[in-house]
Amino acid sequence: MEERRQWRKDHPYGFYARPVKNENGLDLLTWQVGIPGKKGTPWENGVYKMVMTFPEDYPSKPPKCKFVPALFHPNVYPSGTVCLSILNEEEGWKPAITIKQILLGIQNLLDEPNPDSPAQSDAYMLYKKDRSAYEKRIRQQAKENPA
Amino acid sequence: MRRSFARRRFQSMYDISDEDLTFEDSYRDSDEDVEDVEDEDDYVDDDDTDLDFTDVVAGKDHKKNYEVDFVVHSIEGIVKNQDDEVTHVSNILGIQKQHTATLLRHFHWNKERLIDRYVEDSTEVLNKAGVIIDNTKTSKLIKVPGFICDICCNNDEDLDTLALSCEHRFCKNCYEHYLTQKIKDDDGNLRILCMANDCNVIVDEETIELIVNKDIHDRYRTLLNRTYVNDKEYLRWCPVPNCEYVIECHIPHISLTSIVPTVECVCTHRFCFGCGLPDHQPSICVLVKKWIKKCDDYSETEDWISTHTKECGKCHSNIEKIGGSNYMTCCKCKYEFCWVCMGPWSKHGTSWYNCDRYDEKTIDAKYKQAESRASLERYLLYYNRFANHEQSAKLDRELYNKTEKKMVEMQQISDLSWIEVQFLKKAVDILVQCRITLKWTYVFAFYLARNDQTNVFEDNQRDLEMAVEQLLELLEKPIEAEIIAELKQQILDKTVYVGSHREGLLEDTAKGLLESRWEFQVDIKN
Repeated sequence: MEERRQWRKDHPYGFYARPVKNENGLDLLTWQVGIPGKKGTPWENGVYKMVMTFPEDYPSKPPKCKFVPALFHPNVYPSGTVCLSILNEEEGWKPAITIKQILLGIQNLLDEPNPDSPAQSDAYMLYKKDRSAYEKRIRQQAKENPA
Repeated sequence: MRRSFARRRFQSMYDISDEDLTFEDSYRDSDEDVEDVEDEDDYVDDDDTDLDFTDVVAGKDHKKNYEVDFVVHSIEGIVKNQDDEVTHVSNILGIQKQHTATLLRHFHWNKERLIDRYVEDSTEVLNKAGVIIDNTKTSKLIKVPGFICDICCNNDEDLDTLALSCEHRFCKNCYEHYLTQKIKDDDGNLRILCMANDCNVIVDEETIELIVNKDIHDRYRTLLNRTYVNDKEYLRWCPVPNCEYVIECHIPHISLTSIVPTVECVCTHRFCFGCGLPDHQPSICVLVKKWIKKCDDYSETEDWISTHTKECGKCHSNIEKIGGSNYMTCCKCKYEFCWVCMGPWSKHGTSWYNCDRYDEKTIDAKYKQAESRASLERYLLYYNRFANHEQSAKLDRELYNKTEKKMVEMQQISDLSWIEVQFLKKAVDILVQCRITLKWTYVFAFYLARNDQTNVFEDNQRDLEMAVEQLLELLEKPIEAEIIAELKQQILDKTVYVGSHREGLLEDTAKGLLESRWEFQVDIKN
């Protein structure tokens, strides 16, 4: 996949993304990635592990992005799957969107959740009701996911 | 004596159809192929005489109240209609055809609105619809030296590339992959956007034809036709599976409370243009909908429950009494009550088998229960007749087979020719049609308020029903050589009688609907 060479040439600081290894060598349709929290936000100092699964029809169809383990975040489903418009085939997905754009998009989402499409109730309720307790919980999570 | 007056008026309509009878007879006597001259879709061949032509025109002038005008279109016709509309609007707005098509689809084929809005603010319309008009650019495949496709990173020298008017350029392979997949899992709106992030320019029809293979393009075309027909209020697909004809009928939705627009596809399926269900004259759509819902709600189980059980006064469980005294204990909530008055048992003491507690409340409850039972009985009465005709209509399919054999037999034992025994098939046709009509008259009558009008309606219904049974009896009679001529005459007469009775009934009902003469027990406006 050409996409991989592109990524190697130019990728933002703190991120990593590589295909996982299996018994047949590299599995190009499954990537292990890490997204760092932005400086100056409760997410800083953490790197959050995510698995990207590319469908056969990629790039006509978007890849599936799933945090492993699942993340405490209003727009992440209890399974760890990310709910983001550009990752939705019916909404904003376009074949020309690159992995870099997806990962930067998710990094942005970390500290700027979209309250209009909550995906898990725990994080959403806490975010809505008690912002300081929510941020405390996020800082705790950042410590659990060191760089 | 309103009743006898109405009856007379109804009778007079039969007099008119008696003339039809003589006309049809004379027509049949001439040894020509018997063609139904009233059929609207029968086009007159060019070499036919002028006389035939005036006949057809006259038939149109005397259109019956229960008939509506409609046209059947083939797929080719629908495609041509779209092309014509696109060309028309394209000329008015002065923009390329493929862009006009995108705009029209965006406006759900509402030409007037598109033109209005376009004249008002063309920039906004183009933006929203995802169209960039630039007459210097047409989408075509070109090779660009030094080009790298942003999606697949391919940089081959002879790579075919394509850009829409937004100038986002990608290679043909990526476009083909993308369009094919989009068309395959169509989600109904067919708004396929440029592949670039955040670009909302629509991939137009011409570009799609240029890129994808024939199968996919055919599917795309089919989807376009589908949305076109769905967007147009006066078009409807024939609901028969795999039938690809479209009916055009200009009966607006709001008229459905006074007209039952039955149309007939070239595949012979007769259905209601208003709701798409099989022909349900004389009942109007809203009554049909109510009826079907009622039938679904009142399943046989419901029916049994309501006749055999009572509700526990506390937890509302259904309880069936299978013996013993009136002293009941609900096995669910342990509520103790009296089966007769449904009141709590505590006030009954030890009179296990008698209940003399008839206070106001229980009488009221009893009255209510009686009322609901009565309405159930009324429903069942109409339902049984309705179901009976539905069942008979199914049996009549077998009658077709039997009749076919009979027609062969008849030709063997008598000197009647093939064309001369066709009257049997025609009789069965009419019989089946009458069954369908009769079936729906029960639904219509069920919702009618009780008055003189309704009585007349039910009299006519009964007459038709009897005549239909008589016709069936004649059709099932064994054929004997000596009585064939007589039998034929009897069947012919009965067929005409039944046919004109049906028409009379439909005509009177349709007229009544137009005149708002009928009173219904339910609100037909919603």
